[in-house]
Amino acid sequence: MRHAFRLLVLSVAGLFVGLIVLPAGAANAVAPAKDDRPVVRVGTEGTYPPFSFHDQNTNKLTGFDIEVIKAVAKKAGWRLQFVETTFDAIFTALEAKRIDVIANQVTLNPERKAKYGLGTTYTYSHGVIVVKTGTKGIKTLKDIKGKTAAESTTTSWADVARKAGAKIQAVEGFSQAAQLVQQGRADLLINDNIAALDYLNTTGSKKVEIAGNAGSAVSEQVLAFRKGDPRLAESNKALAELKADGTLKKISEKYFKADVSVPNNGKADLSGGRKARSDSQVVKDAAGPMLKKLLVATIPITIISFAIGLVLAVAAALGRISGDRIFSGIARVYISIIRGTPLLVQLFIVFYGLPEIGVKLSPWTSAILALSLNVGGYAAEVVRSAILSVPKGQFEAASTVGMGYWQTLRRIVFPQAARTAVPPLSNTLISLLKDTSLLAVVTVTELTRQAQFAAANSSAYLPLYALAAFYYWVVCFGLSSVQGRLETRLNRFVAS
Amino acid sequence: MTDIQQTPADMGDLRVRAIGIEKSFGDNHVLRGIDFEAAAGTTTVLIGPSGSGKTTILRSLNVLDRPDRGTVQIDHVAVDFTTLPPKGGVARQQIAKLRAQSGMVFQSHNLFPHKTVLENVLEGPVQVQKRPQEEAVAEARDLLEQVGLSAKADQYPFQLSGGQQQRVGIARALALKPRVVLFDEPTSALDPELVGEVLSVIKDLVTEGWTTVLVTHEIRFAEQVADQVLFLDGGVVVERGTSAQVIGDPQEDRTKQFLTRILDPA
Repeated sequence: MRHAFRLLVLSVAGLFVGLIVLPAGAANAVAPAKDDRPVVRVGTEGTYPPFSFHDQNTNKLTGFDIEVIKAVAKKAGWRLQFVETTFDAIFTALEAKRIDVIANQVTLNPERKAKYGLGTTYTYSHGVIVVKTGTKGIKTLKDIKGKTAAESTTTSWADVARKAGAKIQAVEGFSQAAQLVQQGRADLLINDNIAALDYLNTTGSKKVEIAGNAGSAVSEQVLAFRKGDPRLAESNKALAELKADGTLKKISEKYFKADVSVPNNGKADLSGGRKARSDSQVVKDAAGPMLKKLLVATIPITIISFAIGLVLAVAAALGRISGDRIFSGIARVYISIIRGTPLLVQLFIVFYGLPEIGVKLSPWTSAILALSLNVGGYAAEVVRSAILSVPKGQFEAASTVGMGYWQTLRRIVFPQAARTAVPPLSNTLISLLKDTSLLAVVTVTELTRQAQFAAANSSAYLPLYALAAFYYWVVCFGLSSVQGRLETRLNRFVAS
Repeated sequence: MTDIQQTPADMGDLRVRAIGIEKSFGDNHVLRGIDFEAAAGTTTVLIGPSGSGKTTILRSLNVLDRPDRGTVQIDHVAVDFTTLPPKGGVARQQIAKLRAQSGMVFQSHNLFPHKTVLENVLEGPVQVQKRPQEEAVAEARDLLEQVGLSAKADQYPFQLSGGQQQRVGIARALALKPRVVLFDEPTSALDPELVGEVLSVIKDLVTEGWTTVLVTHEIRFAEQVADQVLFLDGGVVVERGTSAQVIGDPQEDRTKQFLTRILDPA
């Protein structure tokens, strides 16, 4: 029991050291040496061109909203830190204080006005209905009753569709919605006219078209803060100045050849924007950034989480084997919780839930914590059965030559248990690698999220996700061959 | 904390002393008060039907099975299990100290399969006793020579025959320089044609003056090597004496029956 306790303490300590030290090097905040401007964290999708997206050549986050918030920050004297997440998670992130402001074409409506600190309008636009080219009978909101609309569920466009009687098919952004419409899996989507024009223009897609306006009302887009945040006033003042000095107009015209920051702005024209690219060009442009995310996010997160998870697994396994009521009980409950709940839910709890009780961890730390706990829970039973597979006589022989508990485990039991444990643990590792693709929901940009960025700029879903699949497969293939070699090595002392 | 510091009895010529050893597994009262002594340099053989408790006595001597009551003393280290706390640092320390006095040879050798023959022998001296590597290696090679396995030093246990494995097991026990060597049915798991080589190694040890306690069914061998024979049944010592007395001229009916069965099975 004393031993199990020591290991438990050790592993928990290790977990925290790991969580504190490791993400430090990986944190994506760029902190100039001497900069005492207040940091403002900006939540944005990064997959909503032309407002918030990654430049197809430089892979840098850019777009109309990004430039606007940057101009605001310059006036207000803020230092910005961008946090990219899906729209449906964006208000949760604001409430959980993971971000301070949303710059992502947040449409003004009464519900939001009651709940959040909304700024002055910086975009006027109107909604359009987009359908598969050649669709008949959908022109206005009256026609969409009973039809299926592809929308991010928490957007005001989803509300418009809902109120008009459409069923909502949940998606994670505009280009995903367009893809569903194009494939006939949704009848329509409603979105900002500018976003729709940009999509048509950028992808060169003739498969979807704008069928008509979604109502006649002009919608207004604003920055969203938490209620009572003094930075709301600062941003309103800055926006007023930007309007007055023409900066806002300049940014708008750069993207839309029209000033969308005033009502009745004329027709937005996006033909001069980003050029349509061939699918092969899209993949070529995305391959580098995706590889980079594989190397700097997916793989390191996998390795770190696996290492910490293994320590937790050994601690839990020894706790269960110890027979001590308390430690065995703790281990049992831990294993049961981890195995009985989805990883995605665990990620949400760690990232969005814990801040409510005052535990706020960075995205990387949250990701590693959740994945480590997950691996620990799953691997614990593997480790336990591997330890139990070592014959009792080995423990006895070790104690007759005078070894203590740890020495016996380290020198006699673990090397033999490893033989049994390596194949199932390899499975765990391979699953873990692929599970990192869920991290997009906690704003960690890894391989899959990077593929989503690229996909948002195009309609080349198949080649882009095939490329992502290929990257995962290559790493898994490598892991499998390492597993093979390890097994050969561990089997050298066994009669074949 | 209870003061369990013990004053070891003056052992004189004695090497092993067990007083009133009792052990139960659940409801099964396996040892019902075992007393015996073994002088330095002598061989004690425990015989008896299976379930009589002879292996448990051996395992009590180095606490693989912890006695419920009674005292075990080996050389100058004595532990009174009647008063020893059930757990905690003091108990662990006492048990480790007592255990260090003996070496154990198992029925099924229990060699470490992931270590070579030489590494198996070195594990105790180098990893536990922290003796200098060079000195320990030299001694280990001598021991392997003694059991006739110099040539196998770098092989893994699975590459050896059963008899060879058991001889490595003996070398591993001796490498600890124990005050007494315990043999738990060392030939029972072997093919008949391999028994001889192991017994001859044990015989050499006896001749060399090692103190040994041996559980065996090889009655003829016991007769040759034993200075003292204990016949056990039902967790008590039924009869004890020299091998000539107990095996050659048993007094108790149970001893006679057992010997008849085992020596003349047909």
